[in-house]
Formats: sequence, C-alpha cells, structure tokens
Amino acid sequence: MARDRNRWLSAYALIVYGLLFAPIVVLIIFSFNKARRGLVWQGFTFDWYPKLFANDELLDALTVTLEVALVAVIVSTVIGSLLGLGLARLRFRGRGATETLLLVPMITPEIVMGLSLLLFFLQLFDAHGSLTQLWIAHITFCVSYVAVVVRARAASMDPRLEEAARDLGASAWGAFLHVTLPLIAPAVLAGGLLAFSLSFDDYVVTTFNAGVGSSTLPLYIYGKIKFGVTPEINAISTIIVAVTAIAILIAWRAGAFETGPRQPVADEAAG
Amino acid sequence: MTDRHDGSSIDLEKELVRYMVENRISRRYLLERIALVGGAAALAPVIAACTSSGGAASAAPSSAAPSASASAAAATASPSPTAQPTPEDALNILNWTDYLADDVIKSFEDQFSVKVTQSFFSTTDEMYAKLGDDGGDYDISFPISVDVPNMIERGVIAKLDKSMLPNIVNLGQEWANPGYDPGNTYTVPYMWWTTGVGYDPKRIKEEPTSSKALWDARWKQHISMLDDWQEVFGLALIQQGHSANSTNTAEMDQALALLEQQKPLVRTYSTDTIGTMTSGDVWIGHIWGADRFAIQETIPEFAYYIPEEGGVKGSDTVATFTGSPHPVAAQLFINHLLDAHNSAANTNLIYYMGPNAAAKEFIDPAILSDPTINPDQKIVDKLEELLRLDQSVRDEYLSRWQQLRG
Amino acid sequence: MGAAVQPAETPAASTPAAAAPGRVARVRSAAVVLPGVGWLVLFFVVPLALIFVVSLGSRDALDRITLANPSLDNYARAFDPVFIPTFLNSIKFASITTILSLAIGYPIAYWISRYGGRHKVLLIILVMLPFWTSYLIRTYSWIILLRDNGVVNALLQAFGLTSEPIILMNTDLSVILGMTYGFLPFAILPLFVSIDRLDPNLIAAGRDLYASGRQAFLHVTLPLTMPGIVAAGLLTFIPALGDFVTPDLLGGPGTTTIAKNIQELFLAGRDWPYGAALGFVLMIVTLTGTLVALRTLRREVVGGD
Repeated sequence: MARDRNRWLSAYALIVYGLLFAPIVVLIIFSFNKARRGLVWQGFTFDWYPKLFANDELLDALTVTLEVALVAVIVSTVIGSLLGLGLARLRFRGRGATETLLLVPMITPEIVMGLSLLLFFLQLFDAHGSLTQLWIAHITFCVSYVAVVVRARAASMDPRLEEAARDLGASAWGAFLHVTLPLIAPAVLAGGLLAFSLSFDDYVVTTFNAGVGSSTLPLYIYGKIKFGVTPEINAISTIIVAVTAIAILIAWRAGAFETGPRQPVADEAAG
Repeated sequence: MTDRHDGSSIDLEKELVRYMVENRISRRYLLERIALVGGAAALAPVIAACTSSGGAASAAPSSAAPSASASAAAATASPSPTAQPTPEDALNILNWTDYLADDVIKSFEDQFSVKVTQSFFSTTDEMYAKLGDDGGDYDISFPISVDVPNMIERGVIAKLDKSMLPNIVNLGQEWANPGYDPGNTYTVPYMWWTTGVGYDPKRIKEEPTSSKALWDARWKQHISMLDDWQEVFGLALIQQGHSANSTNTAEMDQALALLEQQKPLVRTYSTDTIGTMTSGDVWIGHIWGADRFAIQETIPEFAYYIPEEGGVKGSDTVATFTGSPHPVAAQLFINHLLDAHNSAANTNLIYYMGPNAAAKEFIDPAILSDPTINPDQKIVDKLEELLRLDQSVRDEYLSRWQQLRG
Repeated sequence: MGAAVQPAETPAASTPAAAAPGRVARVRSAAVVLPGVGWLVLFFVVPLALIFVVSLGSRDALDRITLANPSLDNYARAFDPVFIPTFLNSIKFASITTILSLAIGYPIAYWISRYGGRHKVLLIILVMLPFWTSYLIRTYSWIILLRDNGVVNALLQAFGLTSEPIILMNTDLSVILGMTYGFLPFAILPLFVSIDRLDPNLIAAGRDLYASGRQAFLHVTLPLTMPGIVAAGLLTFIPALGDFVTPDLLGGPGTTTIAKNIQELFLAGRDWPYGAALGFVLMIVTLTGTLVALRTLRREVVGGD
C-alpha cells in the first residue's frame, strides 16, 4: 500500500514539476525566435545569443542583479534565521511586538516600501539611489521571509536537544553549531532560496532605490515594454537557467546535496 | 501606466505639409546641397542664434524646402560649437530601455571621451519620482512635453545653453516655439506620436474609420484599451464630441457611462499593445501609433488609423537638470541628439518620428512614406494634445477610472 | 482539528528554551534577535514613519508634498467605496491562490521529504529554478500557452474537447493560474522544511495506532506540520494580496486589485499623501486579519501560546 501511494505521489510530483517547467521550456524555445518582438514563432535563429554578449547594458544589469541578490541573500539569511530562531525558542520582552514587526514588511504594499526607502535616503543622506541602497532595500524585504520559514522549523524542534548538548559539556556556541544549526539547516537553505528569487526579480522597490549605474535586470527588462521585449531577454534567462542547472548537476554528482534518507541527529536523538 | 500626455503647441499640420514637400526633394539634390554648404558648418551657431530668437517660427511653412536642405547640410557636417568647454568624463541618462540607438551613444562616447551610463524605468511617473526636485544624479532624461512647464516651475529642468546647441537649426520650424516651452529655452523636442486605433485586417474584414469600432459587439472579447486613464477618457470624450481635456464633470460622467458600456466587450486594458496584438487575442485596440511598426514585424498587414472623430497627439522632450553633475556633457549630448544622422538612427530604431527636419533624408523610407503619417486633412485638424490637468480635475478622472476598473 | 496526538517526545511548539532568564541568557537573546530587530527598525520602521508623515500632508499646486496643514483627511478619503471591488478582487485572488498552493504544494513537499532520499536538496532547488528567470518573460510564456491560438487551446481542440478556441487569457482563471504558479514555491519550501522535520517513526507509530494511512496522516502528520502550513499560508497569502502585476499582465478588464489602485494614486495621480493613506489603511486591515487568524490557528492547532 505504501508503495502504491509512493507511485501515485511520484506520478503527481512529475506532473507538478512538469508544470513548473512548462513556461521555462516555452521561454527557452522562444530564445531562438527570429521575430524581434512579439509572441509568434517566426523561424529559428541563434542570433540573440551573440547579440546578448555584445550588449553591455544588459550584462551590466545582470552583474548588478547578481551582486545585489548575493549580498541580500547572505545578510538576510543570517539575520533572518537568527530572528526566526529567537522568536521560536526564546522568551523575551517584546516578543509579540517583534512577531508583528516581522509581518509588517510583508504586508506593506511594495510601492509604499519603495517610496519610503527613497524618502529615507533622500531626506537623511541626500542619496539618490545606489548599489548600497539596493542592498539595504533588498535585505529589508527578504528578512521577514527567511525568518518566517526558519521560525516554522525551529518551532517544532525539541529544545531539550540543545539542553542535552549543554549538559554533556558543550558551550552555548558549540551547542548552537553542532545541534541547533544542523537542525534548522534545511530551513536556512529554503529561506536563502526564497530570498534569492525575491531579490532577483524585484521591480517596484528596486526602481525607486536604484541609482546611476545600478539598474538591475528587471529594470532593464521592464523598460523594454514600451518598445517591445526582444528574445535577448529569453536568451539571458535561458543562460541563467542553463548555468544554474549545470552547476547543480556538477554539485550533485560531487555529492554536495547528499543528505541521509533521514535526519541523522534529530531523529535518532528524538526517536 | 505609461502616460504619454502632451501639451505642446506644435503645429502638426505644418509639420505634415513640410513632410510632403521634403519627400519630393530628391536624394541627389540633397547630397549636392550637402557638398556645397559643407563649409557653412562654422556658421551654424549664428544660424542657431537666429532661429532660436523666434524668427524661424514665423517663416512660411510652404517655403520650407531650401532652409531645410541647408540645415540638413549643416547638421550632417556635425559642426563643433565654437569655444566649447571641455566636457566632464561621464554622463548619466535616465531612460526607457532601447530609446536611444547604440551607435548614437557610442559615437558620443568616442567623440568626447565621455562614459555614458544609462539607468532604466518603465513608466514616466517612475522617471519623475526618480528625478525628484533637481534631477537626482541624472544629466539627461525625456520628460513628456505636458509635464515640462511644471518641472520648469519647480526648478527641476535647467536652462539650455544655446551656444552649445548649433544643431538646433535642424529642428523643423514648427517646433521652434512650442507652447510648453516657448523658444525651446529649457527643452528640445525629441519624438512625437499620435494615439488611435490599430487592427488586424485578417480579423476585421472592413475598414473602420471611427473609434466606435472599439464598441462593436462583433469583436467582443477581442478589443483592447490602453491602461492609461487620460488616453481612455480622451478617446471616449472625443467620440462624444467633447474635448479630450474636458473639465466638465457631467461630460466625464457621460464618458464613464460610455466606457462602462464598452467594458464587457473589452479583453484587456493594457499598455503592452505589442504583446496583446501579436498574441492574436486582440483584433482591434486603442494603441500608440508608433507601436504599429513593431506589431507589423509580426502581422505585416496590421493597420492603424486616427479616428474620424479625432485623436490624440503628444511629444517627448529631452532635458537636462538643475542638479546635473555633468552639465557640459549634457549640453553636448543634447546637441548630439539633434544631429540629423543621430536623430534618424533613433527614429529607425523605435519608429517614432522626431521633430528633426534634417534627419528625414536618413530615415527608413518605409517609415517616412507611411500613409498614416499623412492622414486626411480633416483628421489632422482634429488631433488634440492631452494637457496636464489641474489636481482637482485629475482626481475626478482618476476616481472615475478606478470606478471603471473596479 | 484536534491537537489529537502530541506524543511525549514531540515538543510543544511554544516551549521556551531558556526559561530561566538569567543575565547570560538575556545577553544571548539579545545577540540572536537584535540584529534582525535593529535592521527592521532602522530600515523599515523609520522609513515607514516618514511615509506616514507624508500621509498626513497634502499637495501644493505643483504637486509637491506639503505638511502645512496636517490632517487625517486622506484617511477619510481612503474609505471610498470605489475601492471595495478591487479590494474584494485582491482577497479573492489571494485566497484561491493560497488554497491551491497549499493543496498542490503539500503532496509535493511530502513526496520530496519522504521519497526524495538523497536528492532532497536537489529536488528543492529544482522547485526554485524556474523562478531564476525574468518574471515578465515567464508571464509571456504563459500568454503563449494560454492565448486563443495557444498550445493549450490547440491541445483541447486536438482532443476534440472544443471546436472553437476557449478564452483562457485575460480571465480570472489565467490570473489564478499565473499567481498560483508564481507563489507555489513560497508554499512548497516552508511545507517541506516542516514535513522533513517529522520523525518517520512517529508516523509509523501513528499508523499502528490508527490502522489506516489516511487516519494516521490526519491525526499525526497534518497537526505536526501545522507550523509549516501556517508559514506557507502566510508566505503565499500576504504577498498574493499585494500582487498587481500578474492581474495586470494576465488579467482582463475586471481583475484589477487594490495594490494597483494604490500604485495609481502614487504615480498616475501624483498624490503621495493619498496613496500612502490608502496603503496604511490596507496594511492595518491585513495585519489585523492576519494576527487574528494566526492567534486562532495557534490556539486551536498548536494549543496555547
């Protein structure tokens, strides 16, 4: 019976993964479309790829996007994870208020957040947008997402594990490093992945906080709507997916993602 | 979202007459003139001074041919302004993606050793928010003509130094004294457009001439309107015989009622008309005229008309700002854009007509010879510019628009 | 739903770790929580306060913000019935998107966690990979699939399910599809993180106890993964409520959302004070609703907080 369910579930999973990638397949196909704009197939060409590598503005925008995403992911994952962990595990004054504080950035309409940061930097620092401003803005809207995911994981963690480690002589730091961190690691990874996709694709907050030389890929792409979006954008998306997929494949072959079929520490300890 | 409202007092009629006249000038004639007056380049600043002092505005349009060819010649030689200050080493442009041809930027960078950095936005309102009160860190951007008076009054836009803009002589005479900026003191016109109706003749097998075609139940679910309150209300108001800039709330209510009536037939309100038209889901739609060329790359038969009831016209300007970090480079760049070749290169890229009379020689003939650029005189007379309305009037419209979209 | 099974070895979600708040513990709490709280206060609360001040102001004749006569007028205006239909649209799309994302995402998260074996991380990254492309181009791809002459209609016609193309694009359906697609990873990731935490022995024990797999799932797995479901619901519902680009690009004439109205007031209307006021009203409504829902959920499912 369990095997049956496994098969049904696997078939279902295959379908869902198929649907997740369906638009990506279309996107890749249309990166070879002859038509300069529009959504109709007009024949095969490879031209958009060389064109893309000659397009400095597009490449600059990609670089900025990745720089911003990288910093946003690292910083928001660290402080967001700590915040999520603290909310789940610690009792401190103002915990309820902190929880509310965590929700508000997610609830704030993007334009309100974007313009509030624009005003903030303009009024207090006379700054008109910059890479640093983008870092700060992106970290700000990513923190909550990371914290909510980590909090959900940490909430169902047995606090006695850490205590046990302390009893066995581990330092607070040691207990954190060897017990807590491995336990919440999947949540930290999930939060980081979410933060990356949020930062990578953000438009509204970014447009009001980007400055000279810090236009990101989404700004470049949306700026194209007025005159038609060219398959160059499909091509660069294809390259990003391909490079990521290859990197993942290499890492996978190298065994980087090998996790045991079970949670080694937690389950054994709890079970 | 993508507003293109206009308040310029450009005289489109004169522009069109001039167009026709010039189209009859042979290429050879022009080339000869260019060879002859190449040396006249040095005189360009003088010509510029004369033109901008208002004399050109009163010149008779029908006799435009000789002066146009002379200016074409001057522009082609790309005169260097006399006693020109050294430009800074950088220039920051705030722009739509693809609004400037790559070569135009590259040639400027090479000629003046200036590093150009472009930043991008997708709606003009974003642009204004980023420019703030003094242009932010930007040197060049492209405000819509209707918004220019407000930006001048707020001290955002900086005055131009005409001595650095010899190529200004290339402007068509009807652009010498636009209402939004008399004498082009602060801005230079960049591109102009009309708004009308586009359709796919494979689907619409008749030749509609009225904007009422957008209310035709036969095309239910295949009609699109722009996602722009001023354009949409403008079209409805004009159809009802009112001004597109009506300030009368009763007329606004009538227009709203007309649009409510249309709503069940509408597939989508969108400014991405290139997307909606080429997808084949929309057969007839309210579009910005120049988008037709991009659509024709996919649907070659695609047709565009200015409704017989009247249509809307507008223009973009190029401006530099009071807080511009590189004012010299900015002036030089504006002059660079006024060059005939460069103006034509931009038109050939984006299919918008520029106000540059000298550029026409270098514009793709397919764009130049398009019949809708020279529509029936009755219709040309009816083109109206969308104005920047007073706050209270704007609020009245926006509230009705949000009611319509709710 | 009962807190039916809380086996002894399973911690209650809210058991505080450092119950004895000694000085060391307090310093430690501060070190854990302060960076995040400090960051949000400095770069979120302070800017938000600035825009709140703006919401009390008005515009001068040149559309500049002026604080000459601060008042709550903009808040009074914000309760305009014109916003009701778009607000309801937002609620409708966000609710359906959340329910669908949870319903579609839970089995996937469960499958990855239980049957993903050594490839769990790979499978999770694969869920995210499609989203490292441009949003706009992904949406165009949906248009290519859904339009009248698109792939989906071609398939429907090939199978003889319809003779005429069915209008799929620019409908509620296309909006819900686009939004569910976009928010699915926001549901799958927290669900996975939470399901993966479960001890398989516990489920086995549950199955022994309840005989049927379904019963075991309902009474053991589901309640124990509730924190994950709540997080997934939050991460889907709240951003979906603020989405206006998907309804704009995939929607039709009647799919406008309240976030679009706010954007329009700020930009097309050039009325920052009014836009800000409407934004704050929306935030307060959403926040109140969310907190009440969370409180109820926690009390019912997790059992006290």
